Amino acid sequence: MPGELPPAGATWPERRRRALADPVMRAAVAKSTRNLAAKKEAAFAAYPAGEAMRKRAVAARRSSLGHTDALLEELTRNVEARGGHVSRAAGPADVGRYVLDVARRRGVRRVVKSKSMATEEIALNEQLEAAGLHVRETDLGEYIIQLAGERPAHILVPASHKTRQQVRALFDEEAGRRAVNPPTGDTTPELTAFARRQLREDFLAADMGISGGNFLVAETGTLVLITNEGNGRMATSLPRVHIAVVGIDKIVATWMDLADLLQQPALSGTGQRLSTYTTFITGPRREGELDGPEEFHLLLLDNGRHELLGTEFEDVLSCIRCGACLNVCPVFRTIGGQAYGSMYSGPIGVVLTPLLGGLDRAPELPKSACALCYACGDACPMEIELPRHILALRRTEIERSMEPWTVRLTFELWGRFWANPAGFRLTGRMARLGQRAYLRDGRLKGAPGLVGGWTATRDAPPLARESFHEWWWRRRTSRADT
Amino acid sequence: MTRHANAEPLRGASGRDALVDEFVDNWRGLDGDAWLARGGRGEVRRTIGEAVRTMVGDAGPETRHRVLAWATADLASLELPGLLAEQGCEYVPWPSGSSGGGGTPDHPQATGASNGGADGADAEAAVTTAAGLLTLAAASDLGITTCSWAVAETGTIALYATPSTGRLPSLLPTAHLALVRPSQIVKSVPDGLRLLADHMAQHGGPPSAVNLVSGPSRSADIEGDLAVGVHGPRRAGVIIGEW
Repeated sequence: MPGELPPAGATWPERRRRALADPVMRAAVAKSTRNLAAKKEAAFAAYPAGEAMRKRAVAARRSSLGHTDALLEELTRNVEARGGHVSRAAGPADVGRYVLDVARRRGVRRVVKSKSMATEEIALNEQLEAAGLHVRETDLGEYIIQLAGERPAHILVPASHKTRQQVRALFDEEAGRRAVNPPTGDTTPELTAFARRQLREDFLAADMGISGGNFLVAETGTLVLITNEGNGRMATSLPRVHIAVVGIDKIVATWMDLADLLQQPALSGTGQRLSTYTTFITGPRREGELDGPEEFHLLLLDNGRHELLGTEFEDVLSCIRCGACLNVCPVFRTIGGQAYGSMYSGPIGVVLTPLLGGLDRAPELPKSACALCYACGDACPMEIELPRHILALRRTEIERSMEPWTVRLTFELWGRFWANPAGFRLTGRMARLGQRAYLRDGRLKGAPGLVGGWTATRDAPPLARESFHEWWWRRRTSRADT
Repeated sequence: MTRHANAEPLRGASGRDALVDEFVDNWRGLDGDAWLARGGRGEVRRTIGEAVRTMVGDAGPETRHRVLAWATADLASLELPGLLAEQGCEYVPWPSGSSGGGGTPDHPQATGASNGGADGADAEAAVTTAAGLLTLAAASDLGITTCSWAVAETGTIALYATPSTGRLPSLLPTAHLALVRPSQIVKSVPDGLRLLADHMAQHGGPPSAVNLVSGPSRSADIEGDLAVGVHGPRRAGVIIGEW
């Protein structure tokens, strides 16, 4: 079954234009990405053990993917043995139905969420709000984004495109709506204090907590949740019902596999050795325990993932959502995350969005949102072959005949000419003759037919009067003469 | 029981000392507070007093700071009620398990919780429901816990949830203080997970919740600027010593 992602909203040219016309956002994204990329490098440099663990973690992830189905069954048995409930969800509608069903049965009105890409992917908030539930995002960045009515701009730092002045304005509005005191200023401690106060209230009043999950350990039925702020702990400890929505790709076989993986999101994401809070949840609260949820539900989300198993794209499922590929991507650094029109942005988004949601959902991403610089391939701690996947998707997209026949003909002819030296030299001579009509002040300021697109927004240096090859032969001949 | 045997490696240079130093350095690097109490039980008690003063400050005569502590036999041996009273704090034990042996005592359901907290007279009335427990923990200024193990190279402590060692005391109070024995500090996260595996082998599986905590709650969501204490404790302290 193919997956289903929320629509992109605006068209690609419109999203691109909007991003390029927003210098504040672009400066913020440029700064945060470079900062995070530098921190990642420094963290690994100072911590050789981290690199050794990373290599073993890659192997562990790949091997888990090799027997996903068996591991999911083992996980399910173990969660149920601990009094938890497990259900498989094919896509957005399954999750929505399940959560609303639990909410009705348990009289839930207020929901708190900790940051989760899986629930972004299925637009769970919209589904729950449409049914009348009050949903609060509690990660500070997600909270800011929710107040702004926007989509996350970065997997890891969703509000990295917002300035503190913009955040304060959003908090002022929220204070008005809730009739509470606004933040006392726009320093980080003041803004943080406001968010803490408001989100505390939401946590204490919540009936249900919804989280994602970073990993699942099959051998004990354990959910692993990693956060820096502690909202993951709050959402899974305070409300009486906890529902975790986790992609089936998050499964690992054993705790020893997990041991090598556990530090990788932090090392590659923020350059920490371990995130501030790592929580292992195995079932609901036990007999005699006074805190923790009374009910624990685990929703295993497919949404197009299972179809990728056993294909050339399988390694994409070992992504740990660290954001390292975003931080080094020249396209992401230029246009930010929102222009991708997907909760998955940057190189991983270019690959994952069409793979999960179908190529029709985002044909422009592999086609246009990549400069083929291969930086993402080097940055990925899980060694996912992002550049190769982007090229493969680009090829598929072209072969679907989305391009006009003129383009195909041009490339076919070009390919034929350049397949042998004589053809290559012939095109050079033809171009040197042809360029005369377009030379202005020693620069090429136009070109015939399709090539004209290249010179529409830039000029180019002209071809030299003589090719290297011709120069070489001329020198050899004249030397032989003397 | 192992108290005296473990006190020894604190003196003189040893592998244990190096682990303690590395743990303290990394914990402080994460903006956590750390105290070394090398003189045994008496010094651990004195240091708790100092930590409480540093982390929650002076409340003044009108308002007493509320300190919520795990009610394990291990912590009970430090006689926290008297110690905290000297600091002008109100001592509230985690309601379940205060009469238990410290491990995983068999206690009745949440409705019977107030029985367990009988020695925390001030708080007893409030803690009869799960909601009351939340309110109590959220209104506490400091949570005191021990830990199951700690990791030197990441500056991390591990907290297991059991009836007597709840999740809230390390989460909802404004500050969290954990007591760590030098012998509990291991080098790496995988070393720590091996200790968890031992626990699983003995208890037939993992606790309902295990929390690895590395310093105070942090976020960089506003302009990449470090913000401490968005959700969890604003201050996180450790005391390393034997008692």
